[in-house]
Amino acid sequence: MPRDSEDRSFRYPLKWRIMDGLNAALDLLWPRRLGRYTGWALLTPALLLVGILVLGLFQIAENSLHTLDTSTFLPGEEYTLANYLIVAESPTYWRIIWRSLLGAGLTVFFTLLLALPYSYMMVRTNKAALRKTLLIVLFLPFFIGQVVRAYGILIVMGSSGAVNDALGLVGIEPIRLLFNFPAVVFGLVQYMLPFAVLMLAPALTAIPRETETAASSLGANWLKVFRHVILPMAKPGLVGAALVVGTLSLTDFAMPAMLGGGSQDFIANAIYDQFFRTADQGLGSALALLLVALGSVIAGVVIAFFGAGTLGMRGRK
Amino acid sequence: MTNGSPSESAISPGKPGQSTAVHVRDVTMDFGNGALAVSNASFELETGKFLTILGPSGSGKTTLLRMIAGFETPTSGEITVNGKPVDSAPPHRRSIGMVFQKLALFPHMTAAENIAFPLKMRRFNPKTIPGRVDEFLDLVKLGGYGNRRINELSGGQQQRVAIARALVFKPELLLLDEPLAALDVKLREEMQLEFRRIQHELGVTTINVTHDQREALVVSDDIIVMDGGRIQQHAKPVDLYRAPDNAFVAGFLGVASFINGHAVPGGLASGENFLSGTHAGDFADGTAVRGAVRAEQIRIAAEGGQLTACDTRLTGTVRDTIFEGERQLYVVATEEIPGITFRIYHHDPESFGLFEIGTRVMIGWNARDMKIFESRAS
Ligand SMILES: Nc1ncnc2c1ncn2[C@@H]1O[C@H](COP(=O)(O)OP(=O)(O)OP(=O)(O)O)[C@@H](O)[C@H]1O
Ligand SMILES: [Mg+2]
Repeated sequence: MPRDSEDRSFRYPLKWRIMDGLNAALDLLWPRRLGRYTGWALLTPALLLVGILVLGLFQIAENSLHTLDTSTFLPGEEYTLANYLIVAESPTYWRIIWRSLLGAGLTVFFTLLLALPYSYMMVRTNKAALRKTLLIVLFLPFFIGQVVRAYGILIVMGSSGAVNDALGLVGIEPIRLLFNFPAVVFGLVQYMLPFAVLMLAPALTAIPRETETAASSLGANWLKVFRHVILPMAKPGLVGAALVVGTLSLTDFAMPAMLGGGSQDFIANAIYDQFFRTADQGLGSALALLLVALGSVIAGVVIAFFGAGTLGMRGRK
Repeated sequence: MTNGSPSESAISPGKPGQSTAVHVRDVTMDFGNGALAVSNASFELETGKFLTILGPSGSGKTTLLRMIAGFETPTSGEITVNGKPVDSAPPHRRSIGMVFQKLALFPHMTAAENIAFPLKMRRFNPKTIPGRVDEFLDLVKLGGYGNRRINELSGGQQQRVAIARALVFKPELLLLDEPLAALDVKLREEMQLEFRRIQHELGVTTINVTHDQREALVVSDDIIVMDGGRIQQHAKPVDLYRAPDNAFVAGFLGVASFINGHAVPGGLASGENFLSGTHAGDFADGTAVRGAVRAEQIRIAAEGGQLTACDTRLTGTVRDTIFEGERQLYVVATEEIPGITFRIYHHDPESFGLFEIGTRVMIGWNARDMKIFESRAS
């Protein structure tokens, strides 16, 4: 026996043997010849989830075709487009849709404006400490969640909050910083910044520093380097970030609700009202479908013009 | 070489042979990782000349070049281009064209757009730009490829785009970091001559980095050999080949065999044996030395053959033979000096394959064929 172990002095490391064991177990559960279905098997949970969503959409579509019978407070029997007509003829809803679009657009603009230098700095700095600080500063609020963050903004920017106190010190009367459109956009930008930075950082990392050096040696000042090299090369990241930030803001609920104080509703708030306040499922469903359509069309147009950016991975356009 | 005051150089940067275009003074670069990437480098380059920095991988060539371009600040020392410190102007105001080792082309532009880029940035007359771009595409033999995107070009074609892009705005100084590395031998040799021609035509002062000794010998007015961050020798190609300053240079250019020993008058002593050679420098008898003989300077003959013309003769056995096309390489181990093998080139096609592996042979050389250098501490 001892001789034997001496002969076979080489043994695979424990880690390898554990992995081999796991592999063998896996082969029993999922034989090799099923290998080509593995991809589909892994996709199934996601497909199921999307399936549930699609079912829900069909239900919502069906709901949107019935008006609320005000005598019974139940949806009516007959099919009608009346709900869509209500939305189309209501200046209030037009205003809400317009506000959502403008809000989302402004949020995309300001978020990208802030995220680009931020992620550029984070990616390019040679100092590990600065990089880590930038990451922590970015993600600390990320962990807190949207509602608590909005509440924080309410406290800090309220009429007796820190910002107005500071303004008071330089002799400026307290101003109303909350419950208006800029406050909502401010909250959204603050909320979206980490998403945008997360999507931009890989795109910027992919630009070799040498390419910028080359551009400057060829006669481009930093502005031209930015305009002709960084911006076009970061385009996939910018498009991806814009899509994510745009759709998330367009459909946002918490920021308009909390920082808008009821006067700055986005579409999601109007839907909520119909479902849970007025209990008009039909109208709520019509609005919901409208939001889905609006979001899809905008995303579709952006993808058609600019490509899907980093969301589309490697494929061109 | 050292004529021309700074102010004079600044006024007439384009006239060849008159002024110093690049002056590197005692430059050291320490990346803080133990070894110095470049250590106490000093040299001057005349306007209009073609200098090649030659050295093995990691010898500090790229680092030195990037410092000359002003992309990297030396830890100590000073670099002036046309009399002014490189960093006296921001990079985009300097008239330095650079071809980067990793090319650094713009992937979102076509080949033609890449070449037009410096012209647009430097505000050339927009009407002249397309014509000039075509001219330079032709110059690097890429006529008709202008509309290709960078990722639709082969490695060698990309390299040529990078060369055209660095040349097109007629910079005062052209810096090339192994621009021909990705080309096949034939195209490389063609481009080397092309470089030479373009450089003569445009009269642009050029510093070329390579580890291809042939390229260095073919294209350069001057060669600097680097090793371990130090300049080993700065000389004209012929002088560098004929009179290397030290054993490293002797071994780096061409193929040589080395024998360690002690200096004796008229050669070196290796064990019991006296080997004739020429001392490169004055050193006392008994100094530890290293002799170098080039492969093409060793004669080879069958055992008992006629090597009467040689003053050093050794007997040995062929250990290996390699056919290299225009020449045959023999590797021979001798009885007199065990532990080393000699590499010998035979250039006569008639006698290729004359000696099989295992054949007993005789090798020899003359005193002037072996250079003897003082052994370095390293
Ligand atoms: N940015 C850097 N930071 C730290 N060390 C570096 C850096 N750049 C180069 N070095 C080191 O400096 C030394 C010289 O590098 P350099 O790139 O100049 O070599 P080279 O002669 O150009 O080599 P090659 O022929 O492989 O391109 C190497 O040891 C390298 O590891
Ligand atoms: Mg290099």
